[in-house]
Amino acid sequence: MNDRMHESLSALMDNEANELELERLLAQVAADASLRQTWARYNLTQHAMHGHPVVHLDWDLSAQIQSALAGSQAGGAASTDFKQRVMRSLLSFAVAASVAATVVIGGRQLAQVGGADPYVADRSVATSASPVGMLNSLGATAVQASYGTQPISVLQPAIRTAYQELAQQRLRKYMQEHAEQAALNSPQGLVPFARVPQIRE
Amino acid sequence: MLFGPLKKVYLPHLVALLSLLAATGAAATVCSDADAVALQWLDKMSRSMRQISYQGVVTLQRDDELQVMQVSHSVDQGSSSERLTELTGQGAQVERGAHPLDCIHPGDQLLRLGALLQKDRCGIAEQYRFSVVDGERVAGRQAVRINIEPRDMYRFGYVMSLDRETGLLLKTQTISHGHKTLETTQFAHISYTDDVPAVGDVDVIHEAQHPHPKRPTTNAAVVRGWTVGWVPRGFAATDSSLGVSARRTYTDGLAVFSVFLEDLDLEIRPGEGLVRQGGTTTYTRGMLLAGQPVLVTVIGEVPVNTARMVADSVSWVQ
Repeated sequence: MNDRMHESLSALMDNEANELELERLLAQVAADASLRQTWARYNLTQHAMHGHPVVHLDWDLSAQIQSALAGSQAGGAASTDFKQRVMRSLLSFAVAASVAATVVIGGRQLAQVGGADPYVADRSVATSASPVGMLNSLGATAVQASYGTQPISVLQPAIRTAYQELAQQRLRKYMQEHAEQAALNSPQGLVPFARVPQIRE
Repeated sequence: MLFGPLKKVYLPHLVALLSLLAATGAAATVCSDADAVALQWLDKMSRSMRQISYQGVVTLQRDDELQVMQVSHSVDQGSSSERLTELTGQGAQVERGAHPLDCIHPGDQLLRLGALLQKDRCGIAEQYRFSVVDGERVAGRQAVRINIEPRDMYRFGYVMSLDRETGLLLKTQTISHGHKTLETTQFAHISYTDDVPAVGDVDVIHEAQHPHPKRPTTNAAVVRGWTVGWVPRGFAATDSSLGVSARRTYTDGLAVFSVFLEDLDLEIRPGEGLVRQGGTTTYTRGMLLAGQPVLVTVIGEVPVNTARMVADSVSWVQ
């Protein structure tokens, strides 16, 4: 794999690749095992950078980082721009991964909600005690976590794009119904309706 | 090693004790005087929002987008009517008429605790840490500024500016955990009057729904009863949309999020998608629930992490 391919992959992850590049990349990724690995790694990084918790905790983090680093140095004359991008990504990845790990240690403790009369605020408020857990970075309360029950595998790019589109569609579909509730239950009057992309009658 | 077996035996106890300390510690420290002052203001804000007549121009700024709208709220003989007209973008109008003043929804119930404060119950102050300072001028009115910092990572923070005289919410900034302003809503102009301003061209007029507390309003339904197993502490259901209704909504008084469930005919590849706009998160997750392919969508003014964990806790009622 050459640097150019690395660059293109990275650009693709940053949504900066043009259509031509995309076609060429997809063809190459399909044919090249090492490209596929890099692709998966970038997806992971991206996943973490975008604030998603990292779902697979049995990863060997250092191996991940090392291999990613090796990847960026393989070309020898890799452009600094690209190196910086990888380093930045890895940094975010490492931070996100450690946050996720912290959260996961908290374990799972679910408060059952619903069933109570919601108009009696006192009873319907979920009053779960703080679960066994670590203090979060705000130093305020214990962290509650439920990761790992339904692990999500690293998404293939086509599926990732499809889900992105799906989320957009669901936003358009559901935002108004959410706004109906938000308008009555948050202190901003009808303003939540301004968040609806297209208000329906 | 001497400590090896000891560690094994005592670790669970130690962890349990620590968590107990954390829980009781939090409960003991929450009801500070600063919180009590802020809670009085929030109580006043909640009442004035629904009980005072006003009209003005409001801006909503998120990301690079600025929306401008005209709002009016008038109170007459025990009920209120309100209207929002978009002056930019789609230009839609949303109206709500004849809303009884004694119809108090869960969001307001959570805020109107000012008079009910007790030593061991601090209401919304169990979820947020407050401080009250002198505010800047907003829309020509002297404001009181309330800094609202979440006590956990499941909700955003806010900076709210209230009219010093009336308690009306003039400006809200939604603040992320990185202390970044995600969204700002504020009055550019306000006047306290019953007059409803004239409006220009309006293409779409929507009559805001009034969900009945005891009856679900959504028409969509799913095949089986389902439940949201976990919501962050302090969130309450906004209506009784239980059973097979496709939506559940929760509020902690300041933030609101809704969960939508769709049962799918075909199996889809599991995965997740995310859209963030200002302080609003839309998180969609495809997965199998006891063999049934479903799509869970969480929309609301909460961090991605919260949406994800809520989606994770959805299950069928056995």
